[in-house]
Amino acid sequence: MELLGYFVNALTPLNILMALGGVILGTVIGALPGLSATMAVAVLVPFTFTMDPATGLIALGAIYTGAIYGGAFAAILVNTPGTPSAIATTFDGFPMAKRGDGSLAVTLATLASVVGGLVGGVFLLLLSPPLAKVALAFGPPEYFWLAIFGLTLISALSVGNTLKGLLGGCIGLMLAMVGVAVVGGDIRFTMGTHMLLGGFDIVSALIGLYCIPVLIDLVATPDPHLKVEQGNRGIRLREAFGIVWESKFNVMRSSIIGTVIGVLPGAGGSIAGLVSYSEARRSSKKPETFGNGAPDGIIATESANNATVGGGFIPTLVLGIPGTPPDAVILGALLVQGIKIGPTLFSQQGDIVYTFIFGLLIATALMLPAGLLIGRYAYKSIASIPKTLLVPTIAFLTVVGSFAIHSNLHDVQMMLALGVIGWILNRCGFAPSPIVLGLVLGQIAEQGFVQAYLIGNATHNLGGMFFGRPISLAIVALAAFTLLYPLVFAKRKENAKKRAVNAARSYADSDGATTVGSDDATTKSGFAPLAGLKKQIAKPRDHAGMFLSVLLIAVAGWAFSQTSSMTPMGSVFPSTISVAIIVMSIILLGLNVLRKPAGSGQGDVNDQSSNARRIALVVAMIAWVAVIPMVGFGIAAIVAFLILGRVACYEQMSAKRILGEGLGGIVIVGGLYLLMADILLIRMPSGLLF
Amino acid sequence: MRKFALAAAMAATLISTQAFAEYPEKTINYIIPFNAGGESDVSARFQQPYLEELAGQSFVIQYMAGAGGAQAWSQLNGMEGDGYTIMGINLPHTILQPMEKEVGYETKDLTYIHFFHYTPNALFVPKDSEFQNLGQLVEYAKSNPGLVTLSGSGSNSANHLGQVQFDKLAGITTTYVPFSGTGPAVTAILGSQTTGGFNYVTSGVNNGDGMRMLAVASEQRVKAFPDVPTFKELGYDIVGGAFRGVAVPSSTPEPIRQKISDLVSAVNANSEFQKKMEDAGFVLTDISYDFINDFVAEKTKEYRAIAETLGIANR
Repeated sequence: MELLGYFVNALTPLNILMALGGVILGTVIGALPGLSATMAVAVLVPFTFTMDPATGLIALGAIYTGAIYGGAFAAILVNTPGTPSAIATTFDGFPMAKRGDGSLAVTLATLASVVGGLVGGVFLLLLSPPLAKVALAFGPPEYFWLAIFGLTLISALSVGNTLKGLLGGCIGLMLAMVGVAVVGGDIRFTMGTHMLLGGFDIVSALIGLYCIPVLIDLVATPDPHLKVEQGNRGIRLREAFGIVWESKFNVMRSSIIGTVIGVLPGAGGSIAGLVSYSEARRSSKKPETFGNGAPDGIIATESANNATVGGGFIPTLVLGIPGTPPDAVILGALLVQGIKIGPTLFSQQGDIVYTFIFGLLIATALMLPAGLLIGRYAYKSIASIPKTLLVPTIAFLTVVGSFAIHSNLHDVQMMLALGVIGWILNRCGFAPSPIVLGLVLGQIAEQGFVQAYLIGNATHNLGGMFFGRPISLAIVALAAFTLLYPLVFAKRKENAKKRAVNAARSYADSDGATTVGSDDATTKSGFAPLAGLKKQIAKPRDHAGMFLSVLLIAVAGWAFSQTSSMTPMGSVFPSTISVAIIVMSIILLGLNVLRKPAGSGQGDVNDQSSNARRIALVVAMIAWVAVIPMVGFGIAAIVAFLILGRVACYEQMSAKRILGEGLGGIVIVGGLYLLMADILLIRMPSGLLF
Repeated sequence: MRKFALAAAMAATLISTQAFAEYPEKTINYIIPFNAGGESDVSARFQQPYLEELAGQSFVIQYMAGAGGAQAWSQLNGMEGDGYTIMGINLPHTILQPMEKEVGYETKDLTYIHFFHYTPNALFVPKDSEFQNLGQLVEYAKSNPGLVTLSGSGSNSANHLGQVQFDKLAGITTTYVPFSGTGPAVTAILGSQTTGGFNYVTSGVNNGDGMRMLAVASEQRVKAFPDVPTFKELGYDIVGGAFRGVAVPSSTPEPIRQKISDLVSAVNANSEFQKKMEDAGFVLTDISYDFINDFVAEKTKEYRAIAETLGIANR
């Protein structure tokens, strides 16, 4: 067999070295929020020109797959997705780490990533041309519905707090509208500043919304960041293997979802992870554990996002359409090398393509030992490092990461602002995840909707455009099922626990998913809202929620007034969302008016945490960001490092330890500064000093 | 006295050229105001080895994407003007953006050095489309106003301008459907989501036989596609697309500006470079520092006329 020959080609020592080196470098870069696979791949492109094309491609592919995997580390250990692909990994990864299962979570993520990556790679090897057709079958309405499907996850993520979850989602959608609109070209909600022209960057928002609240709460108590494991249980590989084997259907389903979504240009790892997470939760026997440290949540997300790597190469190599941003860079590299992309690539330049694919598979397999080794030390060091060093290090990473995205301080300012707002919102019951979902999916939903509307309107077939296409209908059915399933499930659980599970299983297998979903919806709507309302009113009055609803009504009202001067294309989404925000805020306000006023001291009586330290941290970080353009990036970082170490310090420290940690700070800051300025070639602001 | 003045002038010239004679003496940062992988990045990557060979220094490509390039261009004049920072620059972007809204820079504030290539617009249809030539498409669009949908990259972009010009000159009405980049816009054509689309010729190279190019908006036929007629040949005076070149901070001294222009020009003269660029669908052009301001002024006039049709000439 020819393929075997290519496999042997891929096994040269140089190729294996490139694969291993690429995976390690990629994992480290992926683990640092803000440093992306695209960046690493772009920097390495010129070096690969001196290599044989297949070897060069293997190095690039290995970095890419390593970076997608590496995103899980930050998600699990610091609650911040290292790459957007790992958003859903935070949902269960961080809770696991908090309770002392961090190394298990990392090992699970490693196993799932390897399997997912291998599945995606095998599809790339065997089924590329037919799967490339999937990319073409997805038109604007399909992207619109896919984004809506992703948004249905909000209902699952915010059980018991659905209204605030939906409001959070709308806030995210609104944030996604800021800047120059792709469709229509309107300039929306920039308030006349240049800073907001480019909109809110997703990565800087991720860092802000997830990481800053962790930091703020980290300094408020002397408790350790993560619970240290009982005894030395190592990387718990055997246990992890057992869990993954138990969840083999989850792994396979998520890997296939990941591959298919990876094929779609414009979807990508974050959506693949979210959709798989949502499916895993829906089909789980214990959906209530999701969000509280369910291993299946990590497995679903991590196998799906690494499967997108192989999937994304399919349209890149077959059609010349990059599936993801790193693919775009690799495509550019191929072009510069004079390699012709297209269906003929596989037949005429099979030696390059197949050697590359095998190289990618080898790199993915090497992720297992490399990842376990890195993971072992990563968890140990994060769990054992003193807070006086951990807090400034994480703070430094947030600043570096958000700066690195576009070499722009505006992103750092936005990151910090969103982080502080996110912390306040979280305190008022608005979790960050729905906001992030809205932000990630908003653009895709809007563009898909407007494009589908334009095409449908031009061809006088609006209804058919949105509801007459088979793939669209299938996605709509899945979305409806995901949305309604928790309700159905809860109802059945009351009647007969076991029967409900079995029944749901058989529904999932049958084709009549939609009819089942809607039937249940109609029977449900008869009484459920009333019962739900009573339950809602029984809660104590939520003053913070009331205050926020008023604020949201004001902001949404302002946003709505702005839409009148936009083009019809540019205004349809923002006006709809602002109306939705106003309506939901009024409901939230109304509910609270009906509620009884709560007694004084809303449960915060026993709160030992220090607000003074929280404020000190925020002030220090604002000052830090403000002085960077004046004194330079490096010196500001070192000074801030020392100050934040004091803010996080709860004990009397010896001069020796202070000196040691100061030196540690300089090493960490210096190392990352060099990585960014001299290896990743990011433009650093120089200011007076350095 | 005159002799002395002459000598002084000569000495001054000598000193000033002397001061920059050694340029470049260190690594040059070449900033691309877009993400890696796009046409701007790819063409800079093509230049990179030749520039390095000629200048004897390395050229480091960095990225500063955001707001369609405006993020980087608005910061350009604040960077050090010592010749070691150069930035990619694109038309119609730097003309249309400030014409439409306040973006932090004005067209005339930028120091253009050299445009070295452009990617002409081309009209594509899917390979199994019923339209074999431009005539058939125009015919169909005439009898079915609005029914023809054309994809393109973004609103008010080079692709969009092409579609507006085409409608105007052919006396037809088509529906423009903006996508978030050339990639998704091409996918829409390949998958027959739209009737066709305006896109850059370079997209035709990547996607080979999935699409049919009906006409190309260049002066002469593009070397990579010798069988595709130009719009001009078919009677529509449309020549357009995106021009790409380099710019420097406004504080960069004249002799260095000239030197950079000469470097870019010399790379353009290299036959190996020419072949690589042309195979990838780029069309080389050589608008050097001496002529560039006239060129930008002329293009500004041309784009303003189209922008007014589009209703985006607000400033």
